[in-house]
Amino acid sequence: MTSGLRFDHAVLPNGLTVIGEHNPRAVTTAVGYMVRAGARDETPDVSGVSHFLEHMCFKGNERYSADDINRVFDELGADYNAYTSEERTVYYGAVTADKGGRLLELLTELLEPSLRQDDFEMEKKVILEEIAMYQDRPAQRLFESANQRYWNGHPLGNSVLGSVESITALTRDAMQVYFDRRYAPSNVLLVLAGNYDWDAMLAQAERRTASWRDYQVVRERPAARPARGYEELVDPKLTRQHVALYAPGVPVESPQRFVPVVLANAIGDSSGSRLYWELVDKGLSDNAWLAHESGEGEGAFVGYLSVAPAKAEEVLERYQQVLARAQDEGLTPEEWRRAQRKIATGLTFRAETPLGRLMSFGTAYQTLGVYESVADVVAAVLSTPLEAGLELLRRRPFDDAYVLALGPG
Amino acid sequence: MRLPNGLRVLYEPMPWLPTLSATLLLPFGSATDPAGAEGSANVLHEWLQRGAGDMGSRALSDAFEDLGVRRSGGAGRETSTLGVSFLAEDAAQAVPLFASLVRAPRFEEPEFEPSRELALQELESLEDAPTQRLFEALSARFFASPQRRSPYGDAAGLAALTPEGVRQDAARRLGPDGAVLALAGGASWEELAPIVEDAFGGWTGATEPIPTPELAPTARHHVAAETSQVQLGLAYPSALPGTDEGYLYALALNVLSGSMGARLFTEIREKRGLVYSVSAGSRALRGFGYTLGYAGTTPERAAETLTVFLAELERLAAGVSADELERARTGILASVVMRGESSGATAARLASDAFLLGRARTLDEIRGKVEGATLEQVNAYLAANPVPEPTVVTLGPAPLEAGAGAPAAPDTPAQEER
Repeated sequence: MTSGLRFDHAVLPNGLTVIGEHNPRAVTTAVGYMVRAGARDETPDVSGVSHFLEHMCFKGNERYSADDINRVFDELGADYNAYTSEERTVYYGAVTADKGGRLLELLTELLEPSLRQDDFEMEKKVILEEIAMYQDRPAQRLFESANQRYWNGHPLGNSVLGSVESITALTRDAMQVYFDRRYAPSNVLLVLAGNYDWDAMLAQAERRTASWRDYQVVRERPAARPARGYEELVDPKLTRQHVALYAPGVPVESPQRFVPVVLANAIGDSSGSRLYWELVDKGLSDNAWLAHESGEGEGAFVGYLSVAPAKAEEVLERYQQVLARAQDEGLTPEEWRRAQRKIATGLTFRAETPLGRLMSFGTAYQTLGVYESVADVVAAVLSTPLEAGLELLRRRPFDDAYVLALGPG
Repeated sequence: MRLPNGLRVLYEPMPWLPTLSATLLLPFGSATDPAGAEGSANVLHEWLQRGAGDMGSRALSDAFEDLGVRRSGGAGRETSTLGVSFLAEDAAQAVPLFASLVRAPRFEEPEFEPSRELALQELESLEDAPTQRLFEALSARFFASPQRRSPYGDAAGLAALTPEGVRQDAARRLGPDGAVLALAGGASWEELAPIVEDAFGGWTGATEPIPTPELAPTARHHVAAETSQVQLGLAYPSALPGTDEGYLYALALNVLSGSMGARLFTEIREKRGLVYSVSAGSRALRGFGYTLGYAGTTPERAAETLTVFLAELERLAAGVSADELERARTGILASVVMRGESSGATAARLASDAFLLGRARTLDEIRGKVEGATLEQVNAYLAANPVPEPTVVTLGPAPLEAGAGAPAAPDTPAQEER
């Protein structure tokens, strides 16, 4: 799998960067447009527009109706979808290798949406249903709230979905303005993975996007002033206590970016970690973990705990003691090595399919501007020294934790 | 290959991969839980992973992690699974370690209570997960046979478990005969076969027959819950996947719900904006196929959602168009190719085939059946086998008043305690 791979790269005259990881053994081709536009780029009056726009891009244009888009994806037998995060919006698909060109053609149509008024009104209902769906998922609701409170006014705290109020008030024209300010070709990355003909795909991308006009896009990167302390939300309908924990982490651009990832795995992976042995193995919690998430300019440790309300105080204290003890006493070389190996295995499995690869090296390239093969990333993880983890722990990030609980009260 | 102890072993080489995935399908689940011990399978599944051979719980976990093995699995209705994925070069160490879970579980007393406690907590967490609750309630109403029981068990059954009782349960149904071990990935069978035979050959133990699924009379039920969306689920018997009729039905089901261009998505979400999520998918127990449908929608739109959903099920009897069939065919064939790139998906397919059909299909066989189905065959099948009236369960603030067919009756709690 790692042999015979080739990295392709070009920048088109309109500013669109095209990259690819060609794998002659792959039987499928994955194609994705990664747009550097997400919740963090939104102002409060258009909260949720990035994600709503992602839905609207499937509604077509003068050449393709919404039905046409869905039909042609089906004719290609495509495995396709899109997602929106704080950092980006990604439109992607995978097809058998003979259909890569047609997939690129269709995905390119998505990025030229008409944003028709009647489609906009219909899709608004769907978005409101999506918001209602997440209202019924306490952990999602908790993180939505905790993320906003922790980032304390920083754009990384913006909601991806938006609120019922912001979505209801959003207009088609405001969405068009947002599109016209964020979907510049130089703010978009076209990514290919698997088996494809580079010259043909590149020529097609250049021809198809020749009319795209570039302009400068600026992303705000204000300094973060994260919240700390403890807050509680009460919802008598709930049965469990759901707890979120945030603590200062490492931004994605950091040369140390794998350090907090290995550290979080050793402390809080879903199996074999310190939190697992202290809480899940003992039957005190059915779900307790810690992870690390990094964005442009900022990063954070993010944790979760599900617990019976009667035991919530005691178990949360144990959770925080696990973090404090790691800061006080450090980690053992065995723990560090196990975490490294688990992460390496996960990366290797994710690399089995071109679509899995596209997501990994595409997002890394968009943020860092460098190509990383799976072998590069595995080697980087395996060579991350324990000492770097201990150094990070000595800065005592968990002393500044923010904790939000949601439960029946 | 079948080992002398009855374990069925399947392997698909994927020589281009550095990875290897293994799935062990164990023929015990909530359907064979002893009466009064509902949830025993779930606790057994957890407890057996807490120490094996000469290793206690911690040492066993460390041994897996030292190899970078990722573990998965869970207890189900008819079967429970244990899964491992690792680098193929580590097979000689990882496979025996994996086998030790079922060959030599220690079932140590101090590990029992945390295992039960974990199951109780999962049961409690289900209360905060309306969609999962809906599907548990739906299965409880759809089946009359023990397949109606939830893999989560119930509070009374879990409370009644004892270490000795679960040990006896393991002696009764944690055996190799009827179990399936499926592997896929980057090793040759010549390398792997002796490792597997050596690791699993000495596994002994009994298994219990799985009861034949029986259905409850079709009905509608409502489960009261203070949710934002009504959770709407339906179930009806359908062709068994992997049989000749199963291929015709799979193509029709793909037309109904295989993609965002399929009928359900188009009619319910795209044209009417009633839902974010709507789907129908086929499920299988041994010798029995059925279909589960789902939609989540706000209360005032639930009746219309159900009406349109039922109308689409009924419309299938009128057949599908040639274009629809071709798109469905393309979709299924492409997904066969794509799943064939993943070792985990390939191992899961082998295991499921062996358990449900008694043999693993080749990709060529699947491709041939899907390519060979004609429009006439599909439509003749649909005309002769209209979708039967489904069992419908709603979970939400109030029962539905409208919708085709019988009105919803208030739910009589059988499994729910609240």
